[in-house]
Amino acid sequence: MIDAIVSEWLKLRSLRSNLYLLAFSVLAVLLCAGLAFMVSRSFDNQAGDERLVFTSIGAGLGAGLPVAYFVMAALGALSITSEHATGLIRTSLVAVPRRQLFLFAKIPALAAVTLVAGEVLVFAMHVAAQAVLGDRAGQVLLDGRTLGVSLTDPGVAAELLVAGAVMPLVAMVGLGLGAVIRSTAGSLVALIMVLFVLPVVAQTLPSPWRSRIGSFMVENLPNQIVAGDGPGILPPLAALALLLAYPVVALTAGAVAIAVRGRGIRPLVVGGLLAALLAAVTAIPSSAAASALSWKACGGDLECASVQVPVNWSKPSGRKISIRIARLPATGTHRRIGAVFTVPGGPGGSGIDDLKKSGGNFTQLRQQFDVITLEPRNTTDLGVIPFDCFATGAWITVPDNRPEYDRLAAKNRQYAEQCRKADPEYFDNLDSGSVARDIEAIRVALGEEKLSFLATSYGGVVATTYARLFPGAVRAVYVDGGVDHLADHATDLRMRYAAIEGQFTRLSAWCASSDACALRGRDVGAVWRDLTAAADRSPVPVKETQVAYSGFDFKVAAAPDVISPGPAPDFPNWQRFARVVDQAVKGDASGFADYVEQATKSKKVPSFRGMDATHCTDGLGFASYEEFQQVKALDQQLSPNFAGNELWHPLGCVGWPAPVTNPAKPLPADRLPPFLGAGTWTDHADVADTVSRVPGSSTVRYNGSGHGLYLTGNQCTISYANRYLTFLRLPAKGTVCEPPTIK
Amino acid sequence: MIEVTGLTMRYGEALAVDDLTFVVKPGLVTGFLGVNGAGKSTTMRVILGLEAPDSGTALVGGRPYGSLKEPMREVGALLDAGAVHGGRTAAAHLWCLARSNGIGRGRVGEVLEQVGLAEVAGRRIAGFSLGMRQRLGVAAALLGDPGVLMFDEPVNGLDPEGIRWIRELMRLLAGEGRTVLVSSHLMGEMALTADHVVVIGRGRLIADTTMSEMLERFQRGVLVRAAAQRTLADVLRVDGASVCEEDGGLSVSGLSATRIGELALSRGIALSELTPRSASLEEAFMELTEESVEFGAGRAA
Repeated sequence: MIDAIVSEWLKLRSLRSNLYLLAFSVLAVLLCAGLAFMVSRSFDNQAGDERLVFTSIGAGLGAGLPVAYFVMAALGALSITSEHATGLIRTSLVAVPRRQLFLFAKIPALAAVTLVAGEVLVFAMHVAAQAVLGDRAGQVLLDGRTLGVSLTDPGVAAELLVAGAVMPLVAMVGLGLGAVIRSTAGSLVALIMVLFVLPVVAQTLPSPWRSRIGSFMVENLPNQIVAGDGPGILPPLAALALLLAYPVVALTAGAVAIAVRGRGIRPLVVGGLLAALLAAVTAIPSSAAASALSWKACGGDLECASVQVPVNWSKPSGRKISIRIARLPATGTHRRIGAVFTVPGGPGGSGIDDLKKSGGNFTQLRQQFDVITLEPRNTTDLGVIPFDCFATGAWITVPDNRPEYDRLAAKNRQYAEQCRKADPEYFDNLDSGSVARDIEAIRVALGEEKLSFLATSYGGVVATTYARLFPGAVRAVYVDGGVDHLADHATDLRMRYAAIEGQFTRLSAWCASSDACALRGRDVGAVWRDLTAAADRSPVPVKETQVAYSGFDFKVAAAPDVISPGPAPDFPNWQRFARVVDQAVKGDASGFADYVEQATKSKKVPSFRGMDATHCTDGLGFASYEEFQQVKALDQQLSPNFAGNELWHPLGCVGWPAPVTNPAKPLPADRLPPFLGAGTWTDHADVADTVSRVPGSSTVRYNGSGHGLYLTGNQCTISYANRYLTFLRLPAKGTVCEPPTIK
Repeated sequence: MIEVTGLTMRYGEALAVDDLTFVVKPGLVTGFLGVNGAGKSTTMRVILGLEAPDSGTALVGGRPYGSLKEPMREVGALLDAGAVHGGRTAAAHLWCLARSNGIGRGRVGEVLEQVGLAEVAGRRIAGFSLGMRQRLGVAAALLGDPGVLMFDEPVNGLDPEGIRWIRELMRLLAGEGRTVLVSSHLMGEMALTADHVVVIGRGRLIADTTMSEMLERFQRGVLVRAAAQRTLADVLRVDGASVCEEDGGLSVSGLSATRIGELALSRGIALSELTPRSASLEEAFMELTEESVEFGAGRAA
């Protein structure tokens, strides 16, 4: 055996043509560098978000790998076909009459040579491609990948090692094919088919077959084995089994073909069994969720189903309600990682509506995830509690003393009861804790081991509540403009007022330079402060009504416009603000009242009972009059222009009939993965505070206005979020996304 | 010792070897004769385990070739001088073969010396003439210093000097007590080399005999030239010979040359020529194999 192996080593070594063939593999390095050069050139010709839509070249092996594999496979094929071509095979078989031994004796030398050459080659290919790519490699793309990867990135060294280690295996495939086909030309053609033509053919197949068949191609296996970020749907073990099956099948065929007449049965049986075993591993179903849900199409790509949950989670066997859920199914181009659960904001928004509107933003994420969402039990228009009841509420005033506070409580209670009487049990269970428990029930129904969250706005409260209740089921939490449930009132006030004052400063600057601003040429801050201070003393009437606006009313009505200017460069909401302020200064608040009424059917902004039903049970209100007094005292110091505004939400909970069932509590940080937050000028501070509760978390700061970046399609933010959700890779601290440049 | 017993080998419908039985003994050069396509090469391939017979056995030293652990140490074979890779040097080619049977590197130099290729050991085989390749094939067969040697048509492509060399080599090897089996389709060549012949036609055994028996069997009378040719013819006829005139002399059969000489002396007839004649070996071979030649055209080959 050893003699035969050494002899084959001598054979391999003693042919100069083998050396030439190996030298030919340098072409693979050139191809890799060439591709990287092409990519770099077109990358440089693009700017901004256009760069985000590039396709990652991964470790950079793509272009050259099939060539490298071909060279190694050709080396394997030639080691037997050249014997057939020259007739040496007869001499060889007389010297080593045990034919399978003769064939297999070629393996060690071939394997050793191709392993060493392959590893050197693969690393050279990677280094060449990345050298050409340079700094561009670090660009995070829309699908969360980077344009290139460096050797120090997780999994890259492993992927290269595996790709190199595949070389001996493809050499075995070549050897086996060569033993079957015998002709050099025939074998090379067969190898070209397997290594070049088949993958191209697979690319032309319709989805999902393109990726399914593509996953089985040799060149795509190393990445799948190391669970890398390239295409392919196979789990690592299956990819490895398949990779081994290739040479096993080829060598079995070779061993049968080389056998003396009638002696091929044994290798056929042994090889066949081995191949069947490997095929079984490949066929073992991946950790795909075994779900009992019945999904039905519900518009576009969206599929809907429903899950039964108890109304009151403290009485699990009590009355049940049905929660509607929806999914954008994974498109199956890459290995499925699991489910991303999007949690809508509000409170009162529907995740299903979000996905209907913004489903296109999930294209890249869907390569590896089902995107799941729900219509939460507190969705405003669900109908259990009448929509008209939820969408309206009491007008809030800021109490100056205890009797006023108690009167506000009585008023709030009276308003709340009007809704509550429709279904008291349901009304009392609209807290984010119940929503989080609903999500857990959905997770179980989906059969998912873990969930990755994409929580927008108030969905952040739900996601952090879920993380607190079910930390073991959390794979990732991305909080986008999330409301901070975890900060105390004082911290929250400071962050919120800093945000709105910052916006007010920007508004003032804009107004000073824009003809569209009705207050241009005046000191917007002074005008506003005078207006609100005067109105607090003597409310400004809304013409032809009994209604008058206090300074507090103005602030509550104006804050949304100040925070969200609307699309640049017109900033319609800031224009409106300037217009209605200008009008109010002249003694008529109807400008404010008109647009408020348009949105709420109420002349002042009402304390929405639908939102309160969740806010108040989540503990956003004041625990006592004393706490209110403390917060109010701080409130008056923090904001020259909007003092009092941040009291509006908590004051809606004074006297609320349902108990606080989901108060903020610390997260079990040691059992949670780091979070990612993303926020605009006005959201970033809250988000940063939320995610700071879990060590190692990071944020993306969007250098602009707005609320909710992923759903509104901000590509820069989406790229970082996808990188996190897909690969759990966080951006460096201080990462900023600039608004797209306007053309 | 090579023992072939009841060997039958088919290629599809065609019967290449048909119940063939013979033994090749040590110490002799055994010629393995047959026209092209008679089954010589197939038989040799079966002996070397390159083909599996449909029935029968072929043993070398009492064992099937395939079961030999280091077969080159027991059997040396030259089947096809072309069965080499032209890209290797002669030395590398032999070293690869030697190593596969655990034969030391020293033997490579020795056999190259023995076959006269020492000077071109480092040259690539692609540049070798057919004769050099034959010598290289012989060198490969000798590598393991085997007790059994098989050569399939070894003189093909050799120049007269090479042919003499290989004859002497085979006689030498047999003289050392080795078993030597040499196939050929040229009877005349065998007459000069072989001690024993095995003749096959259409896969069947036709003759298995010593070379001298073979020659005797194909005795073709005596050519006599004499002054009194007519008288002599009558004398010989009286003694029971059949005589006919041929080429100005007498062709006599039924009497040995010795007897003819004695009869001529007793009558005082002077002889100018007395030549015992054999049929040409080629003729004898044709005669033997005539019925077994499958295609008339095969004769010309």
